[in-house]
Amino acid sequence: MDSLKIFNSDVVIMKSHTFLYNGNFVNSLKLLAPSFPSTCTKKPPTSASTARGGTTGRHFQPSSHIDLKPSCSSHMAAPTSDGLIDDRIARITSAIRVIPDFPKPGILFQDITTLLLDPVAFKDTIDLFVERYKDKNISVVAGVEARGFIFGPPIALAIGAKFVPMRKPNKLPGAVISEEYSLEYGTDKIEMHVGAVQEGERALVIDDLIATGGTLCAAISLLERVGVKVVECACVIELPELKGRERLGGKPLYVLVS
Amino acid sequence: MSAGENDGFSDRINGIKSTLRVVPDFPKPGILFLDITTLLLDPKAFRDTIDLFVERYKQKNISVVAGIEARGFMFGPAIALAIGAKFVPLRKPKKLPGEVISEKYILEYGTDCLEMHVGAVQPGERALVVDDLVATGGTLCAAMNLLERAGAVVVECACVIEVPDLKGRERLKMHGKPLYVLVESMFDATTS
Repeated sequence: MDSLKIFNSDVVIMKSHTFLYNGNFVNSLKLLAPSFPSTCTKKPPTSASTARGGTTGRHFQPSSHIDLKPSCSSHMAAPTSDGLIDDRIARITSAIRVIPDFPKPGILFQDITTLLLDPVAFKDTIDLFVERYKDKNISVVAGVEARGFIFGPPIALAIGAKFVPMRKPNKLPGAVISEEYSLEYGTDKIEMHVGAVQEGERALVIDDLIATGGTLCAAISLLERVGVKVVECACVIELPELKGRERLGGKPLYVLVS
Repeated sequence: MSAGENDGFSDRINGIKSTLRVVPDFPKPGILFLDITTLLLDPKAFRDTIDLFVERYKQKNISVVAGIEARGFMFGPAIALAIGAKFVPLRKPKKLPGEVISEKYILEYGTDCLEMHVGAVQPGERALVVDDLVATGGTLCAAMNLLERAGAVVVECACVIEVPDLKGRERLKMHGKPLYVLVESMFDATTS
């Protein structure tokens, strides 16, 4: 990962931070200070959305938000509805906070709990996924413990699918199937209930964030082993430098913030 | 109450109850574990569960729904979204990044700890605590303490299932807070 510079105790700068919008990467750097939204004012972007192609980026006025690089949009001008998506993504992005040195030194942790404290942004997050998946005949939403449990169920409820928790070992009672996966050091395991899903069902896998893709890959395997078709993986955040997208065995990945 | 008025409510409760399953000897011999994952596999029953809570709380000026890790995360967010409240996860130690406050509580053997982010709730906010099940009430009391230490007012604790023999309701009453559950377990918590 790129090196960090810390300007003061409240701000961390990353060298690169991109958004993924409609499959195109745009560069607009904006980080929250590690403090809660109640201490910062939330304002919508003062510049026009990048979807219209003519903007220099999103400028957030609150002092705890730093806009570090103007956006250079590489995508085409979009119709009005995409502007609505763009505004929602902007609000969602600004609601996520970065915590340095968690869980260990050198790691910048992407904290979605601040997103959950903003009812509009949280609703927008769910709506964006629901809009994408509601007409795709998905009958299973599988959520990875524990933050996948926060986003998965509201999506499942809205699209009329069942929710299937994928859990750490020994949490699910009764008969389970397990899938082991590699960590940086050692291995871990996730489990799913036997009988939770049926052969031929179409599934979504949800987690808050994709890093190396190891956990999502294990979740996909669990579902495919019982004959389920994994339609897509969906996360709020992607850390592209960790290349998780390439680890999904060809399964598509959809993220809101990259 | 006329049968017509009550039907929607009791039909939904019965539907929810019929989806729950009991897994014996989990997590250890002699325990009958009440498993809500089968409820989550039934979209109508899951929808009804959320709706019943939302109907109860939507007019009560609740701005915080606190959910207890991990099964409280499966119910709390959907309720929060429907009533326009924020969702605050209450977690086991060292899971929440950044500054937290902690509350220790007593288990059958030893103690455990629940954490909440500093700044997640403001003084005076009205809060709901959500978990899948209430047994002894120890975890719910720890959750209420966290919220109250941050200055919030806990309006009620809400769970899908209650295990009455473990006296969680009494424990909450001692704390001065009401408990609302959809299904009262018909099973003993331990084999006799």
